[in-house]
Amino acid sequence: MQRSALNFTGAFLLLTITMVVGVMHGPTRIPLSVVIARLFSPNSSINSVIIWDIRFPAVLAATLVGGGLAVAGAVMQALLKNPLADPYIVGASAGASFGAILAEDLLPSMGFMAPAAFIGGLAAVMVSYLLSRGRGITSMLTLILAGYAVGVILTSVTTFLMLLNRSDLSTIFAWEVGGINGVTWRQVLISFIFIVISVIIIWPFASDMNALLLGEEQAHHLGVAVRRVQLILLVAASLLTAAAVYLSGLIGFVGLVIPHIVRRLNGPNHRQLLPLSFLFGAAFLTLANVVANAVPVIGPIPVGLVTAFLGGPYFLYLLVKQNQRRGGLA
Amino acid sequence: MTSDLMLEIQAVTYQWSSTAKGFGPVTASATPGQLIGLIGPNGAGKSTLLKLIAAFWAPESGSIHVKGHDVTAFSAAERARRIAFVPQTLDTQFDLTVHEVVELGRLSQLSWRDRLQFKGTTNPAHLDEILAITGLSPLQHRPYNTLSGGEAKRTLLAAALVQQSPLLLLDEPTAHLDPGHALKFLTLVRHMVDHTQTTVVMAYHDLATVGLFVDTLWVLDQGQLVITGTPEEVLSTPLIRTIYDTDLIQIRHPRTQRPMLLFP
Repeated sequence: MQRSALNFTGAFLLLTITMVVGVMHGPTRIPLSVVIARLFSPNSSINSVIIWDIRFPAVLAATLVGGGLAVAGAVMQALLKNPLADPYIVGASAGASFGAILAEDLLPSMGFMAPAAFIGGLAAVMVSYLLSRGRGITSMLTLILAGYAVGVILTSVTTFLMLLNRSDLSTIFAWEVGGINGVTWRQVLISFIFIVISVIIIWPFASDMNALLLGEEQAHHLGVAVRRVQLILLVAASLLTAAAVYLSGLIGFVGLVIPHIVRRLNGPNHRQLLPLSFLFGAAFLTLANVVANAVPVIGPIPVGLVTAFLGGPYFLYLLVKQNQRRGGLA
Repeated sequence: MTSDLMLEIQAVTYQWSSTAKGFGPVTASATPGQLIGLIGPNGAGKSTLLKLIAAFWAPESGSIHVKGHDVTAFSAAERARRIAFVPQTLDTQFDLTVHEVVELGRLSQLSWRDRLQFKGTTNPAHLDEILAITGLSPLQHRPYNTLSGGEAKRTLLAAALVQQSPLLLLDEPTAHLDPGHALKFLTLVRHMVDHTQTTVVMAYHDLATVGLFVDTLWVLDQGQLVITGTPEEVLSTPLIRTIYDTDLIQIRHPRTQRPMLLFP
């Protein structure tokens, strides 16, 4: 118990610090004293406008996307009983890309890219689920395979559409790497609402997720309505992922790596894993966004590049470590 | 329908997808406080019967009632409050602690308020008690996947005991256990049956020891329930040798005089 209290305190502190740093840093640096003063008493000064209209929404977006993806990742890992699953694994990313390019091609400059990505991601997961649904309990391995197949098909169509309409390439490319730039309060609010709804759906099933870690059959014996709970969690996790993708495009590795780190820090109990993942995911992406905006010489780069740059090697390290634990070939 | 029966299995059939031959029809019943040993050769359908009773699989035809209720009609939580299941083995890639695994036995008793609360469960006295009687108290903060076979088995039993279900299903509870741990495990089960009127159905392989612990034996062969009766009756029929296709030798336990079957 003491360990988790410490971890929660640490996570809250970390998030607060990264958020303050996030508001302070940007093309022009705003001193801490000004940030604090303008947070509590906004005025019409240029700093106040930067803080309230640009930096603060961006920082909130980063916390929402980071936290949302981390929780979605934790849920997918429990559902698939695989610590190497991520929120995009069953087709969400391919569906979101497909939706985004479709909106960009059919209704250019209408700003429908984000909502279309939201719907595309959600729809792709549902199609994968329906395809994998069989007699009795849905096999989660079948779900991964169906998600993979749906992803491959959608990606090929997306690539084809991109080649047809090369003028969109840079827009779509930037979106696929994932970045948090120029978000408005309205977008933050929409995403926030969906994230809150998903989290409210997921939370009461935290103990059921612990049971699912023991396998679907044992979860059944312990009193989990396995099929129903899996569907509810899958929908909620997809909603969470879609809400994050809506704000930022496809940011990789947060949803994979953060739940992993939290598990090593605090154990796999979802009662603590879920809230801690949100806090650490939020802090991580906020910090990554500061780094992305402060790259020397080149200038700002998409935050998705930073997370991939940090997350990729860590993922490889996990894979190697997991293989060693199983005995592997050695 | 008589409600003083704990378990009523009526003409249950099930189609295995891999073979042309099906399971059943099987009819049987059990009363409260009865410890039943379910024996039979490999592939006879012991695990199938347990999975059907636990409503993990639905029967093709026939019905299974627990305390007068159809098992397939229960909600998940209602079912787990009546039927607990201890699997043969269980692997997980996640580092849940012994305490966390045992606490999952409480899942079916959680109210919506418990579920919304941050902590999820209060720590009921009986959880500590069960950790103590299963000898897990010193291990409770160890990760489950670092336990030895015997410790893991006791952890799964403890979780099932926390469920406080009147019907307990055990799938090969002593497989992979050394004689010392096997004896402790079976003694614990016997003690629980005698003191809480729990009904236990236990799939079991060892014909030398099964007769020492159970009240009744059910013998499955090729998906059919071929013999039922006391260990005395069942282990002394010549049919048992035909079923196992082995010329087993019957002896009596020197101290308790209970029947045992040994390799020829």
